[in-house]
Amino acid sequence: MIHVENLTKRFHRVTAVDGVSFQVTPGEIYGFLGPNGAGKTTTIKMLAGVLRPTSGRIVIDGVDLERDPIAVKRRLGFVPDRPFLYEKLTGLEFMSFMADLYRLNGPGRDERIQRFLDLFELAEWGRELVGSYSHGMRQRLIMSAALLHGPRVFIVDEPMVGLDPKGARLIKNIFRKLKSSGLTVFMSTHTLAIAEELCDRIGIIHRGKLLAEGTVAELRELAGQADSPLESVFLRLTGAGPEGAEEIDFL
Amino acid sequence: MGRRAPCRAGLRTRPVSADTEIGPTMLADMNTLTLLAPRWWALKNSCRVGDRRALVKAAALLAITLGFWLGIFIIFKRVLHYFQGVEELGDLLAYKLLSMVFLTFFGLLVFSNVLVSLNTFFLSRDLATLHATPVSLGELFAARFVETLLESSWMVLLFGIPIFAAYGLTYAAAAGYYLGLVSVIVPYLTIAAAMGVSITMCLVQTLPAQRTRDILLLLSILLAILLYFLFRFMRPERLVDPDAFTSVVAYFRALSAPSSPYLPSTWATEAVWPLLRPSVSSSAFYQGFIWTTAAAAVVACAAVTLATYPHGWSKSQEAGRLVVGRLLGRLNVRIKRRRQGGSQVGALMSKDFKTFFRDNTQWSQLLLIGALVVVYLYNYSVLPLDRARMPTFYLQNLISFLNMGLAGFVLAAIGARFVFPAVSAEGFSFWIMQTSPLSLQRILWSKFFFYLGPLLLLGLVLAIASNAFLGVSPFMRWLTPITVFSMVFGITALGIGMGAAFPSFKAENLAQVATGFGGLLYMILAMSFIALVIVLEAGPVYALFMAHVRRYPLGISQWIYIGGSLALVALVNVTAVWLPMRYGLRRLARYEEG
Repeated sequence: MIHVENLTKRFHRVTAVDGVSFQVTPGEIYGFLGPNGAGKTTTIKMLAGVLRPTSGRIVIDGVDLERDPIAVKRRLGFVPDRPFLYEKLTGLEFMSFMADLYRLNGPGRDERIQRFLDLFELAEWGRELVGSYSHGMRQRLIMSAALLHGPRVFIVDEPMVGLDPKGARLIKNIFRKLKSSGLTVFMSTHTLAIAEELCDRIGIIHRGKLLAEGTVAELRELAGQADSPLESVFLRLTGAGPEGAEEIDFL
Repeated sequence: MGRRAPCRAGLRTRPVSADTEIGPTMLADMNTLTLLAPRWWALKNSCRVGDRRALVKAAALLAITLGFWLGIFIIFKRVLHYFQGVEELGDLLAYKLLSMVFLTFFGLLVFSNVLVSLNTFFLSRDLATLHATPVSLGELFAARFVETLLESSWMVLLFGIPIFAAYGLTYAAAAGYYLGLVSVIVPYLTIAAAMGVSITMCLVQTLPAQRTRDILLLLSILLAILLYFLFRFMRPERLVDPDAFTSVVAYFRALSAPSSPYLPSTWATEAVWPLLRPSVSSSAFYQGFIWTTAAAAVVACAAVTLATYPHGWSKSQEAGRLVVGRLLGRLNVRIKRRRQGGSQVGALMSKDFKTFFRDNTQWSQLLLIGALVVVYLYNYSVLPLDRARMPTFYLQNLISFLNMGLAGFVLAAIGARFVFPAVSAEGFSFWIMQTSPLSLQRILWSKFFFYLGPLLLLGLVLAIASNAFLGVSPFMRWLTPITVFSMVFGITALGIGMGAAFPSFKAENLAQVATGFGGLLYMILAMSFIALVIVLEAGPVYALFMAHVRRYPLGISQWIYIGGSLALVALVNVTAVWLPMRYGLRRLARYEEG
């Protein structure tokens, strides 16, 4: 469903993503992990068509992103890491706007919008301006808008940021349901427990390069830490030190 | 909902007496200068970023500022020179002008301080963090007061320098004048800042800060419109013609400005004037008066702040919206609700409409445009054509022809404020456009048509109404609206195209978007386009006009010339639409978040 080949992105002299290749199969939840500044968000922005790769190829649902970006975007649902929205629209108006952008017309349109607002527990706030929403509410609004048109691939950058435990549980349940209905999910996260719980496979990126890829069990094996939690595996693979014990002593 | 809980954390009137080891050392640094340091560092760092565009921008701004300075200086120098030539009354006129300058500055300063202090004391994003630190309210007041004073005074000070320099040079003042001036200006600015901050503290007790700012912005626009009307309808051009007045008394009345002994502007004038004319009286009394008043004003302002700030801060956390913008936004919503969905372009236009009319800083500026149109047309209604040496018939049509350029200029200026920032208005939400299945081409064209309609309407009103006031020939009655109508397409496309080529998605204030390099380029290109159309039309219009007036037929060569010129005009118009839109599209497609 997602096919990425030798993806590279350079910003002036800095290579943010360096020859990354991977594939995600239909109905799979793929977790994309990495330390801060590893190139996760840059990769995700390239997948969503926000950034253009310096080189490499992205094919989504059989369509080359470079050749036909509009066709790819029709198949995508995207949630960025920072939920910037139109502050002066109400939640309902924003959903209606997104429905129009994705040509979601017809008699069932308004009912569908209402159902999504209900699902993400936003119906009560539908007529309030987005500017007055909390971070978690914005995150849920973006998610509902991104799923409104029934995408085939869902790309999410940090899905759990700003969500309360109830909201986080809701999103996890929705992800599971979407997976069972055949939706492909590509998500980046720093919450390793979430990745471990939800993802079928995980890719670890570090300094722009894809270090490792596989199921959680495969990654454990690769790190030589059969019974360790994913956090230890991740730290081992990304070469993180002993958590600055000496520096912490200073406190 | 969405309202943050009132936060009183950190709002203390005394510093914490921390007895832990790290406490005292850290608190020792936490003084007023520390609080001001981030502003200074931000300024220093912004000067250090030395990319070419920033340098070009800085050079252009410096050139514009110097040009403006020079303009103000020359005008005042000439006016003062003229005054000196008026026997017996010259000094009085110069004194009155000085008092008017001080009075105007004071009004502007107080208003500006109210607006700025709303930001610095209540709306600034760093306040939530600062209130969580062990900063005493006194220290916070001192830092924010200085910040307010500097931020709201520098502009007035900047424009004041050429005026005071013109006075100094005209009266060949000694160094004491310039030193004395500094000694008057500093407490003068301080009094205005203290008044402004105190007013804000009182206003915020009853209104949420956000709403107060909206209301004040609206009031400032209405005030500007009122002043604009008053000034224009007063017909200041008559002031240079004393013969037009029935008596000397009426002349003086027209010049007189209120000079109440209770106004700081009066004290400032009385303190500065003796430094220009040493023989008149001493400046010391008023200097002392203004300094002591400034000190008292700061103490009073501090007392008001310490007493009211915690409550005001809590109130400022409440959300607020003006009803007008909301009502206008609802208009569109009602139309939309009748349909089951809409087109992509329709959705974009509907979104732009709503966000425009719900943003009080945006729609309220339409009031200014309304005032501009009224005064623009009023000018044509009072043109003294009958007193000109040229035959009225020629003059009417000549002015109508030149009016096309003037109307074009007005439209270009409005374009700079509204059309050029149209793409940047997407702001941080631009990612929605980038990831949607809507081509950038359609996004740009939807924005083009969104602004085209209102600009066409405005252009036609300017052209047709001014022609009606001028009483032009039927030929000009048709030519002017048709030319303006066709130019609006180019002006709009230039605004959208250049705005897309030089977007500023991180701009906090859309009004500032057009002040950058791209905005400057847009204005230059728009003016060149308008000038080119006018120049190309001038020859054929003159030939046709004269043939009509003198009733002689045009030869074939003249018709070829006219046809060729008009074809060129059409080509220029089409190019002005096609080229900038294409350029903007290409640049926007390559845009990447920096």
